[in-house]
Amino acid sequence: MDYSFKLESKMPKKRGLITDTYKMVRKEKKTKQEEDEEKAKEEVARNLEIERKQLESNLEVLKQFDLFWEYGPCIGITRLQRWERADILGLKPPVHVRDLILKHKDDPLYLQRRAGRLYLPR
Amino acid sequence: MFSDQAAQKGSTLLTPPSAKGPSFDRVRTCSYSNRSERFRLGERSYARQYAHIYATRLIQMRPMLEQRAKQKWGQDVMIKKLCELQMGEVCCVVGTLFKHMELQPSILREISEEHNLLPQPPRAKYIDQSDELILEDELQRIKLEEGIDIQKFMGGGAIIAVFGAEKEDGKFIVDDYCFADLPPQAPMTGPETDRWYVLLASGLGLGSGNAESLLGMQLLVDMVTGQLGDEGEQSSAAQISRVVLAGNLLSRQMQSKDSLNKAKYLTKKTQAASVEAIKMLDEILVQLSASVPVDVLPGEFDPTNYTFPQQPLHHCMFPMAAVYPTMQLVTNPFQAEIDGVRYVLQSCLEIVYLFLTPTALDTLSEEEYAVIYTTPTAPDTLGCYPFYLKDPFVLEECPHVYFCGNAPVFKMKEVKGADGQKVLLVAIPEFSTTQTACLVNLRTLECQPISFSAFCDAEEEENEMNVSH
Repeated sequence: MDYSFKLESKMPKKRGLITDTYKMVRKEKKTKQEEDEEKAKEEVARNLEIERKQLESNLEVLKQFDLFWEYGPCIGITRLQRWERADILGLKPPVHVRDLILKHKDDPLYLQRRAGRLYLPR
Repeated sequence: MFSDQAAQKGSTLLTPPSAKGPSFDRVRTCSYSNRSERFRLGERSYARQYAHIYATRLIQMRPMLEQRAKQKWGQDVMIKKLCELQMGEVCCVVGTLFKHMELQPSILREISEEHNLLPQPPRAKYIDQSDELILEDELQRIKLEEGIDIQKFMGGGAIIAVFGAEKEDGKFIVDDYCFADLPPQAPMTGPETDRWYVLLASGLGLGSGNAESLLGMQLLVDMVTGQLGDEGEQSSAAQISRVVLAGNLLSRQMQSKDSLNKAKYLTKKTQAASVEAIKMLDEILVQLSASVPVDVLPGEFDPTNYTFPQQPLHHCMFPMAAVYPTMQLVTNPFQAEIDGVRYVLQSCLEIVYLFLTPTALDTLSEEEYAVIYTTPTAPDTLGCYPFYLKDPFVLEECPHVYFCGNAPVFKMKEVKGADGQKVLLVAIPEFSTTQTACLVNLRTLECQPISFSAFCDAEEEENEMNVSH
């Protein structure tokens, strides 16, 4: 485009339409397949978001369980062992914490308190 | 008692030989159960810290101490945690007692050797006038002053309830203190007749080359197996239903590590001294276990792990004796029920460490809390496995007899608890120096020392052998 200003050529010589400068772009109609794909992607993103929030809140519950000093030190033993110890000593630890740990038995984040910063994958 | 029975029978030594000699059947224990499963270690992971033991010990003992505090100082005594303490307020605090000893070796000072500071000399006793007592609960600690005699306490580690108030400078002035009471005791269902004995010996000290103790040892074995004395002695020996060897079966010299400092070419063909000593022990055990059930506890100088609870010696070290089912290799500390009488036996590494700390030598007679925990100073001065689930050294049931081996002298004391518990505390002397063992009557729980000695006087020509009760 020619940006040099010439007084004569301020107005186009021909009677032009605005669509000469701003070309009209026809909105392409998406095919059904592409629409579905997009919707699926959005849903996946939403689910991931929900899961992440769930993970955060679960870990928060477990963190509160760890920091509850009544049950003794939390480093060096797994959460399940600590829960069982509290149970044996008669301190009545909450059952939902145990269920939570058992539901995610294979996840190392749930299993033990890590000393240091917790890295949550985003 | 033992010798009285022996004396009742007439002397038969100098009679002409008969076609068939008399035979005495050994009394058989009707029930024996080994209750030391909690001292056996399965998987051993040392990745844990020792904070877990102290935490579980405090949690386990706290209810008992609160109850005792209420009994002693009134039902409405305020029991507070250290974080809730107000200055000047008289209340009771429950926590772990910790004794801060300047002379105790510290790993940090060892590391400081790198910085060319003087290394600490190894000491026999860690106590000093400048020691301090500190009370720790779950979250905080506070120094204790007045009211509590620092020198009376061996190491720390026991759970204590103190009654007093906090001063302005942050120290706690103690008016009174108490330990937990003895745990509940099951009634004793001992045998009815007076004829059952258990023989206890400790500190055999094999391998040291001490001829006197070897002679004494052989006399002991011969007496127990009925090869000594006339019919009176033999019938009395038949009433010994069990023999327990409580630790330090090998002598201190077995621990020497001279071969580590020598050059390899000099030490290539030499055998460790403990190999001979173990062979000797195997021979003794064969003689004993062929005739009487034997329990063998490891001790400080024996080839087993150093940390408490010590695991049993391995049976492959005793090829001859391990064949007999009467020989049992057990842990240290050892808990068992023999004929309805509950025993806790310990080969005293603990008392050795307690001697490093107190001024009074007869520590057994002092604190009752020794009965509640077998090893309060673990893991502070005594090595210990990092337990996390429960502290196995807190005894939940009061035993009837509590033995401690390798003491310098034989001592006996009966302790009575508040609920009518009666415990007999016995210190078994070290056999290699004193040639004395103990006989316990299972019915009356009386304990009698039995010593074996040979008088070797250079001036006299004949040697006199004396087996005295």
